[in-house]
Amino acid sequence: MIDLSIRLALEPFALEVELALAGRVTAVLGPSGSGKTSLLEVIAGLRRRAEGRATLDGVTFLDSERRIRLPPERRQIGYVPQEPALFPHLDVAANVRYGLRADPGESNRRVAESLALLEIGELGTRYPHTLSGGEAQRVALARAIVTRPRLLLLDEPLAALDAELRHRILPYLMRVRDEAKIPMIHVTHHVGEALALADEAVVLRAGRVEATGPVRNVLTPKLVTSVRGDATFENIVHGVVAEVDGEIAIAKLTPLIAASGQPAIGAPLLTVPAFRGLQRGAQATYRVASEDVLLLRGAPAGISARNVFAARVIGVETLRTDVLVRLQTGALEWRALVTAAAVRELEIAPQGELFIAIKTHSFDRLG
Amino acid sequence: MIEADDISILGLSLQVALTATLAILPIGVALAWLLAGWRGRGRIVLESLLTLPLVLPPTAIGIVLLMLLSEDSAFGRALSGAGVEIMFTWKAAALASAVMSLPLLVRSARTAFEDVDPRLLGVARTLGDGPWRVFRRVALPLAWRGIAAGTLLAFCRALGEFGATILIAGNIPGRTQTLALAIFHRSQVGRDGDALRLVALTCFVALAAVYATERLGRRHGIDRLAR
Repeated sequence: MIDLSIRLALEPFALEVELALAGRVTAVLGPSGSGKTSLLEVIAGLRRRAEGRATLDGVTFLDSERRIRLPPERRQIGYVPQEPALFPHLDVAANVRYGLRADPGESNRRVAESLALLEIGELGTRYPHTLSGGEAQRVALARAIVTRPRLLLLDEPLAALDAELRHRILPYLMRVRDEAKIPMIHVTHHVGEALALADEAVVLRAGRVEATGPVRNVLTPKLVTSVRGDATFENIVHGVVAEVDGEIAIAKLTPLIAASGQPAIGAPLLTVPAFRGLQRGAQATYRVASEDVLLLRGAPAGISARNVFAARVIGVETLRTDVLVRLQTGALEWRALVTAAAVRELEIAPQGELFIAIKTHSFDRLG
Repeated sequence: MIEADDISILGLSLQVALTATLAILPIGVALAWLLAGWRGRGRIVLESLLTLPLVLPPTAIGIVLLMLLSEDSAFGRALSGAGVEIMFTWKAAALASAVMSLPLLVRSARTAFEDVDPRLLGVARTLGDGPWRVFRRVALPLAWRGIAAGTLLAFCRALGEFGATILIAGNIPGRTQTLALAIFHRSQVGRDGDALRLVALTCFVALAAVYATERLGRRHGIDRLAR
């Protein structure tokens, strides 16, 4: 539980935020320059000029009136900045061990545990300049979680990297949430990522909170695109592998609800590309761009797409020139981006019944 | 051939320059760290004061030191009251060298500290380190090459110091006569050959130090590219 009432003078506006967050993961969205990074830095204690009050689980770490200002090292708040900021003079294991004060045996055990959780156990002796962007980001994440902070701040991890690498981090963040059970505040501009990871969302604009609440209520496509023109509405599909056909490299996936890990009741088995090492019973995460979700009026015959199923329209919103249609199949929700002309021709309206078609190869593997 | 006299002059010079360099090392590194992180208005004042020895004639600095150490000043009286004798001893030569070479060390070390990504310092704080530990575990290891290069430069400057030294240490053979002073003295009395021998000795020591500086600087540059 985090309670904030803070003020920080920035150029050209002031960051003025009043928030009470109770979620396991809070997604923060906002245009660039809206104060997202500054907000994280205030919470981490890296902005000395911040004023106001802030408490985490009842512990006050900032109260400018009572002159309480816990330095960052006493807040137990982990921080992963946009660039991984690994210590270049230390190898991966030493980077991860940096914040540990335990005896060597215990430290080694915890470092190994964190590296294993993020699947980078083999990188221990490498130096930061030899790592790929995705590897470096996972090391930064391991370094932040190994000290078991009371809160983890993630500033748009991998924003500087290409889409594929960026998305690869998502399954690891889900693991940190579910296995390390560390509450997170996560700055992102990917709505699919936010929906898969967060239970609460905050929208910041020009230093002020524009909307806050449960992620599904807050992140309406219209609000998100008005805040961030380059926001994406991809579908994140997370599930348990039901079968793998190695010969034709496809797998069947029983979907789970990414945000909770609960079975998505009533959702169809999905046909997705298999990858090396994928085994029956394992969990896997895929991404489908909203442009790749095709909508059909009636049940198609003779179609090459392997994923075809009936769905009910639950929302239709116009974004700039296109229309984002939200649909539901059982407990699974889909977002499809179509043209306004298609909406007219297919007579797409809330509560209408349609068919969804998705090609196997429209599923990008994330992890 | 090098004479015993030359060796004792070289020995005294090295003693003076090393003492001066070691004395300013902690002060210079602390000042550099302070300047690198300071955004306040006082920064420019401190920086300007530190630049003075670089831009003023060394004799001007010598006069200031002379006044400071003389019995006319409270500081000078306090020193002699405590039984500390500095004027016209090798310690005065070391003091003059220290003052003259401090700016070189501070500039080089400050640049090295400024090159350290501030995000690394911030992350280190969130990982549980106070400012002193962050300095020791992150800033110093990342800036050490720049500090080492600055230290060598300062050492070279100390070795060649003349103007301020002659004012507060005099030119006493065997006591305060360093290489720079001895070269001046020998050439004044027409012992040009003897002076040239000392020039050769000075060249040797200075070249060795500059070579070491260059090596460190180059490795520093390559490291930064690799990052």
